[in-house]
Amino acid sequence: MTSHFGLMVIFALFVSIVFATLMRDEPREQLLLGARLFAGFVGGGVLAGWLLYPLPF
Amino acid sequence: MRATAADRAASSANPYLICAVAWAIPGAGHLWQGRIQKGLIFLITLPLMFLFGLWLEGRLFPFEATQPLVALAAFADIGVGVPYLIAKAMGAGAGRVVAITYEYGNAFLIVAGLLNMLVVLDAFDIAQGRK
Repeated sequence: MTSHFGLMVIFALFVSIVFATLMRDEPREQLLLGARLFAGFVGGGVLAGWLLYPLPF
Repeated sequence: MRATAADRAASSANPYLICAVAWAIPGAGHLWQGRIQKGLIFLITLPLMFLFGLWLEGRLFPFEATQPLVALAAFADIGVGVPYLIAKAMGAGAGRVVAITYEYGNAFLIVAGLLNMLVVLDAFDIAQGRK
């Protein structure tokens, strides 16, 4: 596994699971928060990648 | 979620002992206090994240007072508890700096330790009756 995107997705998955479990008590709320966090992490990573793309260094 | 009678009984245990157990085995502090679902998720997720970091050829940093950032990384690494000690005892976590996944491995190892520290604090709050 050497795909930067794949590793970012796995990292985001682990962090989202732990944060959602810590911050919410009910399984349904945990699932919703986890999904939102995961989408935010992955979306933010992709957006940051696109914003940094034009930089020459 | 309100504390149940079982939770309150469990909370009568020494909070610092609960913290020590929660640090050593990720999720054990929650399991001890009756938060089975949370405890099982932490018990599976955090060691798995740590193992992933080792598989990605990340490094378990040594405590070096002359290099503060390395020492901070070492402090974060040890946050995951017994999995760190087992990995050290087995000689794992040497890190291969030329590996393409080296920095990813470090991130997984460090963040697994830091997340377990948050889990320990959560277990402490439960033991204190704040949650």
